[in-house]
Amino acid sequence: MSRIYKFLDDRLNLSPLLKEIADHQVPDHANPLKTPTALIYCFGGICLFILLLQILTGVFLMLYYVPSPDNAYAGVNYIQNELAFGGLVRGIHRVGASAAVVMVFLHMMRVVLTGSYKNPRELNWIVGIVLLLTVMGFCFTGYLLPWDQKAYWATTVGVNMVESIPLVGNFLAAALRGGSEVGMLTLVRFYVVHVMFLPALLVIFLAAHFFMVRRQGISRPL
Amino acid sequence: MELPEANETLSRRRFFVNGIKVVAGLLGLGLGIPLVGFFIAPALKKEQHDWIAIADLNLMNAGEPAKVTYQYTRRDGWKTAETRKTAFVVKHADGKITALTNKCTHLGCGVEWNASSKQFTCPCHGGVFDIQGNVTAGPPPKPLTRLMVKVEVNKIFIKDAQQ
Repeated sequence: MSRIYKFLDDRLNLSPLLKEIADHQVPDHANPLKTPTALIYCFGGICLFILLLQILTGVFLMLYYVPSPDNAYAGVNYIQNELAFGGLVRGIHRVGASAAVVMVFLHMMRVVLTGSYKNPRELNWIVGIVLLLTVMGFCFTGYLLPWDQKAYWATTVGVNMVESIPLVGNFLAAALRGGSEVGMLTLVRFYVVHVMFLPALLVIFLAAHFFMVRRQGISRPL
Repeated sequence: MELPEANETLSRRRFFVNGIKVVAGLLGLGLGIPLVGFFIAPALKKEQHDWIAIADLNLMNAGEPAKVTYQYTRRDGWKTAETRKTAFVVKHADGKITALTNKCTHLGCGVEWNASSKQFTCPCHGGVFDIQGNVTAGPPPKPLTRLMVKVEVNKIFIKDAQQ
């Protein structure tokens, strides 16, 4: 392992990059070993960890999920009840979704509590808000995919809420549904948004988020 | 990573590096085993085959393979699918019954019985098999696959599983 690393490092000079990514000083006020309350500074990292879990389990769930009204429920049922480790993989993805929302919210509360959103970090706060909305989007679209009663009616209600927006509400709701009723087109577009559009958005904005954190450093204590 | 020298801060560092490696390894195993299992699970499932009545012993002529098609439903994920296959049932001169798949052992084309030369021939790359299914010419590496076969009250049954 270290020989492979040395081979690559000799040729590509990876060490400085690695140092930049994972081997730099954590300031004392954000180091739980020095300041126990600094655990709240771990929330962002926990969010990242959960999101990586979600991506990993999500990619594997795609092996057995077919986004059509005929197959969606049966496929999820097959994953959950017949496949080896199916309950576990889907369970991680399902519970992880809730955990992601909780941790993203706590991460945001930490940023509010420590005033980290202030100048010069306003841009990162905005990127963070986009990431929050992205995670909510994942939850909203993912909720429909099992195609059971709960999924169907949750989406019906959610899209009806969009409908109440003045002037453009009806149009937006129809665009979300792909028509006037929740149906096959809704399922497919929610699926594609869930596995293609939102992950792309997530990766781009996470990259910006991390770039800015590394560039600006962790905020000083109040 | 540079080697730690013999001083306190670096041995503490080494401790944490090792700790991180252990935690990462456990996480990797804890996730890797279920995920790999999840991926390969359908491959590990054994298919159950039933006996299929396929021909009447009294209507068979010795030395003349009868081409039969049979179909059965099998589980395809959460659905069931009809599978249709072809086999040759052979009554040999000594009264023994064998069933051969029509699938050439070279690359899987369908072989046909050539009544004049009394051989199975494959249209794709010129594989030739005798009535026992043994290769007599061409590229096939193995004899034709024999299916499980049984006779009950003059009815011939086969099972879609290798003998």
